[in-house]
Amino acid sequence: MAKKKRQKPAQAAARRSAAPLSNRNQRSYTIADHRLEMPEFSLRQVRVGDSVRYEVKGDLSAPVPPIRDSKYLSKKQCIEIYRWMLLNRKMETALENLYKQGKVVGGVYFGLGQEACSCASAYALHKEDWLGPMIRNQGSLLVRGFSARDIMMQYMAKAGSPTKGRDASSHFGDIQSRNVVAPISTLGDLIPVLAGVALGARLQGHSIAVMTYIGDGGQSTGVTYEGINFAAVQNLGLVLFVENNLWGYSTPADMQFRVKDLAERAIAYGIPGVIVDGTDACQIYDAAHEACERARRGEGPTLIEAKMMRMKGHAIHDAADYVPKPLFEYWRKRDCITRFENYLVNIKKWLTSRENAALISEVERVLDEDREFAVNSPMPTPESAAGGVHCEDGCHQIKPKYGVPKVSAGTGKFKQTEAAVHFR
Amino acid sequence: MPQLTYLEAIRQGIWEEMERDPTVFCIGEDIGIYGGAFKVTDGFIDRFGAERVIDTPIAESAIVGAAFGASLTGMRPVAEFQFMDFIGCAFNQIVNMVAKAHYRWGAPAPLVIRGPSGGNVHGGPFHSQNPEMWFVHAPGLKVVCPASAYDAKGLIKAAIRDNNPVIFFEHKYLYRRIKEEVPEEDYIVPLGKARTAREGHDLSIITYAAMVHVALEAAEILAKEGIDVEVVDLRTLSPLDREAIAQTVGKTNKVIVLHEDVRTGGIAGEISSIINEEAFDDLDGPIVRITARDSPVPFSPPQEEYFLPNISDVVREARRLKAY
Repeated sequence: MAKKKRQKPAQAAARRSAAPLSNRNQRSYTIADHRLEMPEFSLRQVRVGDSVRYEVKGDLSAPVPPIRDSKYLSKKQCIEIYRWMLLNRKMETALENLYKQGKVVGGVYFGLGQEACSCASAYALHKEDWLGPMIRNQGSLLVRGFSARDIMMQYMAKAGSPTKGRDASSHFGDIQSRNVVAPISTLGDLIPVLAGVALGARLQGHSIAVMTYIGDGGQSTGVTYEGINFAAVQNLGLVLFVENNLWGYSTPADMQFRVKDLAERAIAYGIPGVIVDGTDACQIYDAAHEACERARRGEGPTLIEAKMMRMKGHAIHDAADYVPKPLFEYWRKRDCITRFENYLVNIKKWLTSRENAALISEVERVLDEDREFAVNSPMPTPESAAGGVHCEDGCHQIKPKYGVPKVSAGTGKFKQTEAAVHFR
Repeated sequence: MPQLTYLEAIRQGIWEEMERDPTVFCIGEDIGIYGGAFKVTDGFIDRFGAERVIDTPIAESAIVGAAFGASLTGMRPVAEFQFMDFIGCAFNQIVNMVAKAHYRWGAPAPLVIRGPSGGNVHGGPFHSQNPEMWFVHAPGLKVVCPASAYDAKGLIKAAIRDNNPVIFFEHKYLYRRIKEEVPEEDYIVPLGKARTAREGHDLSIITYAAMVHVALEAAEILAKEGIDVEVVDLRTLSPLDREAIAQTVGKTNKVIVLHEDVRTGGIAGEISSIINEEAFDDLDGPIVRITARDSPVPFSPPQEEYFLPNISDVVREARRLKAY
């Protein structure tokens, strides 16, 4: 008898929970997804005999989708972006060779497979906008006006490098003309800084777009959260590319976060999120363009998740043996330069084979010149490490970049008050 | 001349700089309509508007990062930390992003990070610290610790005008406890220069912030015993005024270094080494350190008293040193 009585409330509860909730208690959000394919695969650690390895599960047999026509790019612009991507890739090949010749100090970081994201995104920036590149966005530095020789001299620690030998790889910037913020080695820290650049511009009455990047690994840091949230609350024009290249060093994306797509994070910040194919230069550009226009109109930040894969290890020393081979094969077929070349030469027929070959030759010639210059340039003297710790003796004149801020004069007066004290 | 508290002097200094230079703005938690947890920015939002007095989410890394970003466009942000104990939350931005910017890529960072530090207010471990040495230890930053209302105004104005990142530690014990005549006009106290708070001939006490007042009170007691104490207020911890340190040792030949910061890693060790390098032959006795104990700051008043250096510590050590 008692058992029956206990069942009744349980049954009633089951009935209640089975009934559909009214729609007002449910929320839904949309994340725009511009990709022409949506692969579903996951990575897990499994034991195979004596060792633990990563195993990929999912259908990797889909054919490579076409490049999605851009809504905004002209033929000339597409070819320009293609050239930047070529320069980006061939520069990194040259860096790899320099490393093998023992001419590089320290390691080399590659953005292999990610050139479309670096180049097409930065291409959407205007002169007065700002860029904060991460380690694999060397292509964006080229688009922004630095040369291959600048980057090579950085890697070779030469006196003529943008940091005069004081920092490595892509850790350089330019506050005067190219508007680039130099990254530091810790991840996510550029995000609040770029937000602050937009804040400074706004205080000077100017609405700009500021663009930076973060990886699937890097987005795990606390400062990433603080930075995006600050930009959202302050409605600053931050265009954030979340480059989900599936690997943070040896750690797969499945071990960095629980959400299905990183663009979903945008919901948490209250900003628009959009997903694009990171190996499709047109999709990258369109998303960047729309986000930058939003930013310049004062409509606030956008989070763009670009999906792709890191096609080399974390740095040159890392063979990336932990990456399951089928994944490399899948993404190799989707190489951004191969796809874009095919699009320009075969699909749109905007480049003849001869023009394409000429373009490639020109890029290789520029790189040869830059490599010669960089290799033959001098190392810094030991004494050149001294000085510059502080900005002293008028070494910089600091002026507002966009114009003197207009100040509103309120009627408040300086207060001499005895206000509430927290402590004795 | 009006009498202002140490806090009001800081307020007046920032106010004047915001009047004078439209690139100066304030950013921090609760600094707008509330006027700041300690009311340093009281009245600012009414006068200068919400655009220049920005309330932020609780996100210290974002506060410092955004201030740095704004400074790259030529603004001069004044970032408030509600308590300097929370500066740990922005540590990476300060020492890695900001401090190294000018050295490695030629980008000056003309921002000021300011807030209340120090104990003797029953604040417990997270509202009473003296974190200055974490930043003295990072090349590229300047660290300032005023002890008087006059200096507080002059130094905050100098810090705002400085092209370098300045960490400005305001001793909360002094906020409303000291009041002095502060000129209403525009004046600067230069960074990197100590001042002699009391002239003396028998021994020197080198100190800063709230301990300056402890040293001065001890000096009055010692004067009655015929011990004439010179008190040197460092004012800036980085860069240290090495000349002033050497000079006072040359004058009195005996020195006590007094600070409210903990013993290990406190600036007394650094100053002792500097004296060793610059004025060893002038010493007639060992360099004495009087500091807080090596522990977190305890909360209960009798415990905090045990933890902190006090006047009787100074008097006792001065007598011993004089007799050496």
